[in-house]
Amino acid sequence: MTDGTKAALTGAGIQVDEALERLMGSEALLERLLGKFLEDRNLAELTVALAEDRREDAFRAAHTLKGVCGNLSMTRLEALVSQMVELLRGEGELAAAQALLPEVTEACREVREAISGALS
Amino acid sequence: MGKEPTMVRRGQDGAERAGTILVVDDNEINRAVLVNLFSGTYQVEEAGDGREALDKLLADRDAYCAVLLDVVMPVMDGMEVLEELFRRGWTRELAVFLITAESANSTLRRAYELGVMDVISKPVVPYIVERRIDSVIELFRARRRLRQRVEEQQSEILRQAGQIIELNMGMIEALSTAIEFRSGESGSHVRRIHDITRYLLEHTELGAGFSQEEITQISLAAIMHDVGKIAIPDAILNKPGRLTPEEYEIMKTHTVQGGVLLEKIPQMRDHAAFRYAYDIALHHHERWDGRGYPHGLKGDEISIWSQIVSIADVYDALVSSRVYKKAFPIDQALAMIQNGECGIFNPRLVACFLEAEPGIRRQIYGVEGEGT
Repeated sequence: MTDGTKAALTGAGIQVDEALERLMGSEALLERLLGKFLEDRNLAELTVALAEDRREDAFRAAHTLKGVCGNLSMTRLEALVSQMVELLRGEGELAAAQALLPEVTEACREVREAISGALS
Repeated sequence: MGKEPTMVRRGQDGAERAGTILVVDDNEINRAVLVNLFSGTYQVEEAGDGREALDKLLADRDAYCAVLLDVVMPVMDGMEVLEELFRRGWTRELAVFLITAESANSTLRRAYELGVMDVISKPVVPYIVERRIDSVIELFRARRRLRQRVEEQQSEILRQAGQIIELNMGMIEALSTAIEFRSGESGSHVRRIHDITRYLLEHTELGAGFSQEEITQISLAAIMHDVGKIAIPDAILNKPGRLTPEEYEIMKTHTVQGGVLLEKIPQMRDHAAFRYAYDIALHHHERWDGRGYPHGLKGDEISIWSQIVSIADVYDALVSSRVYKKAFPIDQALAMIQNGECGIFNPRLVACFLEAEPGIRRQIYGVEGEGT
């Protein structure tokens, strides 16, 4: 992984060194898992569930997304998704969660763009 | 779910780290992180939801040494898996960890109540996860090894205890036989008294209320009924003719002397069989009508174990040949016991003895059939 790639990923809010440490230093595995993140369906599921007012499904998708973001050290995205998880927990504040969605979507788009650029 | 091509690997030191970690998470990326972390040292298997995990565990529980469980999953979530493992009592044998982004207090408390070993938060920090999981797996292994050791040692101790009991019995028998030998009895006399006593306690109502252990102790005690004879001078013990009244009085003291002797051996005094041995040595010549010796006890004043040894002693003396007499035929011996020619016994004791006698003859004297 070149320094340029790392810089691009870092710019999108990914703590590359921390993520690499979690993967026992395997850059190949990090690249593979970042590739998997591009295919991850959780944001799409969250979006649909929120649109259809299905709070529990939205919670599950947000929760899983939070875990993934955490494991890949996507710090900025993880912070936003955590907020989302808490808004959807228990009785939930569906309206507030729906209001937060564009910000989450945008952050996610930035991360994906950086990954696509870095992996290509 | 899209499962990785086989991620099951054996660690470099596979023998030492035998056992498989089951990683349960619905997200492939999360699973990959944990699989990567542990596949160097353990075998790792994956499950994409709780149901799949439970199916694997049900199929072969002993193959797994640890389960790393995500909480929020479709189909069956982590807490449901945990509830099921707890219900089966498996959380004591299997190290279960929650690896979760979940931070709700109530969930974590419930998890600990259900026997989860540790809760590790996502995102995982590698050296922390490794260390915590390694130590718990090692703890479970050590516990299992210890349990095996204890079981092995227990059976070894039982075996040794058995040997000691056998040796004990052998020593007691040797001593008693040596004493009997002085008065010209055959060595097998004490062995037969032991066997008859045991037979009567095990096969007739005389043994009602006694545990198997007590029966063993009473039978052992019966062997020592005549140890007091060691204090009787040869001239009296082996006198060919009839004893004078004075000599007879001395002969009768073998009962009291037996009690004194047994009391003087500290190991014997502490032995579970002592109370029986002492009583039998002292009272195996008492009579139901109160005309026996040394104390002239009457009826139920005489303990049942002393009564049993008393009739066994008389029977064996009658049906065995000695230097000074031939063996009586069985029918005659039984008639003599019933008629009170060899002492007066408890009628219930005589009835039980007659009922058991054919079995005693067959089993202890190796004689078949009636009236031989």
